[in-house]
Amino acid sequence: MSDDLNSSILDCLIPGDESGWPAAGQHGLTFRFLQLLEILSNEGVQQLATVTENLPKDFCTLSKDSQTTSLSTVEKEQPAAFQAVLKAAYSAYYTDQTVRQILETKTGYEARPPQPQGYELQSFDETLLEPVRAKGPIWREAP
Amino acid sequence: MDNEIVDIVVVGAGATGLAFAWRLASRQPDLRIKIIERGDFVDQRNSPSLHSDWELALLRRFHANPNIRKSAADYPVDDANTPIKPAFFNAVGGSTIRWGAHFPRFRPSDFCAKSQDGVALDWPIGYDDLNDYMDINDQMMGVSGLAGDPANPPRAARPHSPLDLCDGSHKLARAANDLGWHWWPADAAILSSDRADDRQACNNCGPCAMGCPRHARASADIAYLKDVLALGVELETRAVVRRIEVKNTNVQALEIIDKDGQKRRIICSELVLAGNAISTNILLQSAEGWHNPRLGHGLMLHPTAIVTGVFAEDLRSYAGPFATSLVSQEFYETDRDRGFLRGFQLQALRGQGPLSTALGGYGKSIPWGTEHAAVFKRNFGRSMSLTVTCEDLPEGINSIKIDPDKRDQFDMPVARMSYRIGQNTLKMRSFGIKKASEWLKQAGAERINITELSEQAGFHLMGTASMGHADDGCVTGDDGRVHGLQNTTIIDASVFVTASPVNPTSTLQALALRAADLMCMRLEQN
Repeated sequence: MSDDLNSSILDCLIPGDESGWPAAGQHGLTFRFLQLLEILSNEGVQQLATVTENLPKDFCTLSKDSQTTSLSTVEKEQPAAFQAVLKAAYSAYYTDQTVRQILETKTGYEARPPQPQGYELQSFDETLLEPVRAKGPIWREAP
Repeated sequence: MDNEIVDIVVVGAGATGLAFAWRLASRQPDLRIKIIERGDFVDQRNSPSLHSDWELALLRRFHANPNIRKSAADYPVDDANTPIKPAFFNAVGGSTIRWGAHFPRFRPSDFCAKSQDGVALDWPIGYDDLNDYMDINDQMMGVSGLAGDPANPPRAARPHSPLDLCDGSHKLARAANDLGWHWWPADAAILSSDRADDRQACNNCGPCAMGCPRHARASADIAYLKDVLALGVELETRAVVRRIEVKNTNVQALEIIDKDGQKRRIICSELVLAGNAISTNILLQSAEGWHNPRLGHGLMLHPTAIVTGVFAEDLRSYAGPFATSLVSQEFYETDRDRGFLRGFQLQALRGQGPLSTALGGYGKSIPWGTEHAAVFKRNFGRSMSLTVTCEDLPEGINSIKIDPDKRDQFDMPVARMSYRIGQNTLKMRSFGIKKASEWLKQAGAERINITELSEQAGFHLMGTASMGHADDGCVTGDDGRVHGLQNTTIIDASVFVTASPVNPTSTLQALALRAADLMCMRLEQN
């Protein structure tokens, strides 16, 4: 399995878009992707091999549409292997710090772990419960 | 083989084992009580939620399914014959290490399904037998919530006020009011305010299921362990109970493999099984010298559909404890016009982090390819989900049985979980999905995604050794004592007679505290 092939697979799975999301392979996530295949499943590396064995030998030089068609076929015929590869690809992408910075810019979701800062929420407004209280009890007594 | 002699052995340092040991040791300080736990301590102060790649932990190290997690403490479960996979955690604190800490109580009607609706059996005890214990446990765990819920009997005020609501929760609350349905802020074993014992209030970080570095979210180790050890209870971790020796209807001793791989024998006067329905069945079904053909039958789960609404606006729905915003118990009790008996709870779940969103944590994953970025952006932070948590009925064909031909790494038999969803539950689930969709649409959701069955949701393993009379096919008495084994008590959810449609831990821990008091009385009489 060459890095070019893995990178091409990543670019096809997560191609990014013109608004600034990077393509996963071009962004240099191949190494992290391979690491995560091993971390997330004991069979991850073998599952990638299953996917690549079922792709055309000239996958890297195919048009984007043809690459998508080839991967869609593998997704149907080798669903478990394909899902393992997809999980590692998404995992590499959405835990990458640069991608997280882009996510922050586009959505406001800060590029930091949830802790120790946490998040602010609205205080609970108890007056919302007035209609519920007004209905009265709805539980059954034991006989 | 070395022999050790203790008064009480508790197998499992989870929700019930630690609560039981605390109560018994508090009342009988002279007893030598020893807890055997196959897992290790989890340092929640260093939770993955403090690290930038936190979401990866949910995919392996903190995955709910032991067959996927495959940690050193885990044992395999044959789950080929169940659409709902086993979910539990082996560690000090048990499955409360990776739970959402939703903490409802069973209702009075949950204890009398037979006399009210003609299904299953009545419990040999009722709500009133557990109410005081639930209050004690609420204090120990640190429960936030609001008294006065008209869907439940009057209760004491919660130790802490309700947790805050997010934008999505407020939308659901207003929509429930529009529909004229019940809703209420969820009871949560999560602190909404600081406590004196070095536990801080929740800061709404979201991923409760990987341990809480603030100790805001309770787990059995955080709530009970310090007091348990202060009372002199011994805890041996990374030790696996391999075999129980039975002679003349009494358990004589246990054989364990300790953390150094050494076999040891522990002689005990009383054995308390506090793991889960799977581990308890493995131990009892493989015991030599005792057999009960009813053991292992009547497994109950909580078959759960998840309906997700995606909203046009950014709700920041990743913020806040993922499982504890609000619930509706509008459809909890039997209404025969609906075409099924018993009922379900609708529980709001918040959105998820970016990776879990992409992987479709509660439903469909974001498609790969050219549409990926745009679809991700339309979903992330904009979804709220509702679980349709169905009350399961005990059916004999749903079971946990040991496979005589399969052994695990400790040469113990492997449990086989066999389960199929009953017809009553299927009808209930269909009805519930319609109601959840209606609620989300009323709240303004633009799109609705339905997951008919949450596969990795076998969290609540109930039944297989239910309480009641032996003549009715029950395996344990009203105190969890095993019929035909004079000195063995089960305090995990194996003893549940019915499942209710709500999370069992509050009821379960109350049963454990009660079992400790009953054992204490018995020991005093003897």
